[in-house]
Amino acid sequence: MGAVLVHIDLDGDRPHPSSLAALAAGRAVASSWGATLYAALVIHDPTDRGTADSTGQISHGHVPGVETVRAALARGGADKVVVAITDAPVSSLWASVGGAWQGVLDHLRPRLVLFGADAPSASEVGPRTGARIGARLLVRARAVGLDHVELRDRDGGYVRANDGGAAVVLVGATKPTHIGDDDIDLVVLAMPGGADNRIEIAGSVPAEVSHGSGTIVAIDDASAGDAQIMGAATRLASLLGASVIRSSATPLAPELCVAIGSLSIDLAGAASLIRIGHPGGKHVDGSIPGLPGPALLELVKTLEDV
Amino acid sequence: MKRPRAQSEPTLGGGVAVWLGSSAPARSIRWLDGTLAAAAKFGAVTAVAAGDPTWLDLAADRANRAGLASAGVPTELQLDYLGWAQVMAAVARQLDASTILVDEASRPERFPEVAAIAELLDAAQLTHVVAISPDHTKDRGSVIHASRVAGTELQTCRIRGPVVIGVRIAGPAIEEYPTPMPSASMKRLELAALGLDPVVLGHRALPPRTGQPARKTVERVAEHLSMHVIPRAPKGP
Repeated sequence: MGAVLVHIDLDGDRPHPSSLAALAAGRAVASSWGATLYAALVIHDPTDRGTADSTGQISHGHVPGVETVRAALARGGADKVVVAITDAPVSSLWASVGGAWQGVLDHLRPRLVLFGADAPSASEVGPRTGARIGARLLVRARAVGLDHVELRDRDGGYVRANDGGAAVVLVGATKPTHIGDDDIDLVVLAMPGGADNRIEIAGSVPAEVSHGSGTIVAIDDASAGDAQIMGAATRLASLLGASVIRSSATPLAPELCVAIGSLSIDLAGAASLIRIGHPGGKHVDGSIPGLPGPALLELVKTLEDV
Repeated sequence: MKRPRAQSEPTLGGGVAVWLGSSAPARSIRWLDGTLAAAAKFGAVTAVAAGDPTWLDLAADRANRAGLASAGVPTELQLDYLGWAQVMAAVARQLDASTILVDEASRPERFPEVAAIAELLDAAQLTHVVAISPDHTKDRGSVIHASRVAGTELQTCRIRGPVVIGVRIAGPAIEEYPTPMPSASMKRLELAALGLDPVVLGHRALPPRTGQPARKTVERVAEHLSMHVIPRAPKGP
């Protein structure tokens, strides 16, 4: 059975919660399939530690600054941790981490690679990883099953133990857990090559909602005037990490939009649309007709209990 | 694991192409129009689509209205992201294009094709781009300035060299558009002429799935939304 590899993004000096969720899904899959679960991350080290040749240097042991991460990944269920060291500054772009990440793929030759769907680099690095290893790609899938665990997305796609070929999965709907030991092996790969200098980040500013990504909760004026509905909408937005908007004159291209009430919203075709208090229609992934208040409250309670 | 470049594969030139995908936009064509308008800033550009004749005619019509040339690959295949990337990469080589823009807003299955096309062309990639501007100056050479959304940040990037860019730019609102007529100006490219064997390409075919009916209950909607609930860090040290 090939390796199960989980890509870990960092949030400060700790693993990103979405990456830990992917690790929890990976733990369930690896235990069921009899595979070794690797958690791998790319970190920046400008000191040029042994990157003189073009093959990458492998060592076991200590990397300053990653003990907190190693402990968190161990508790999250990883069997082994791989740290790829690059002399390029790490960002969410394939251009900055792709070279070092390639070293991890070459070293482990994984059969299954998992990313947290909401981790910063998932949308850039996940599909490119799939293309590089010729893998199927599932977006927002979860681990299901007890004895025979599989990964399944909401459109009916799945990855099972007896499938042929590799798969890359962006994991959603999984809670991070504390299940493993504190002490596990750490493998260090010192990767030469640095960043792809064809792309350079010149700067960054806070994004506006109209720039479009992530999740949006849109609410019509009548619903927003009801304190109970507005409160439920705010709780829903908090669960989904979403912005709440009243209306938008500009077209939007989020990954998901939950529209409450009968407002009209101009969405790109790539967005998934859920309507509450509306009968739905064409290009709507789900809808709950009738008054929005009771359905929204029940929906929020259900999601909070998940 | 990286696919070695075949000796006979031509290298990429300096042209620009736009990949419009393998089926018509899901809700609105304004994002397709926006991508074409963004591409028009680059000068001589070819818009590329693949799929059934109705979609190819629509793509050619919108490209024509934006002042762009068009090419279409007629096929009945239903492929995954790697399959369509093979098609677009073959067209890019045929057109000698080194800058590829991809309309990643019109359909959900399009965004992974950015990475897959870039991989096959050994190009850099940039996704979630919301503004783009080519800059040709004598002292700095050809540079593309792009703004991309990364979570809650808007990053400004400079791009040099072969690149595939996923674009999310809306054009003007369009309530209705005339039914496109079969295009005489669209260049038709058969798979075989691109060096692609439909039987081999069929290995990337998607398995037929029953269409997902719209979710109509709180439980079904909650199941859908649960995939988007933001994970919180586990309690403990």
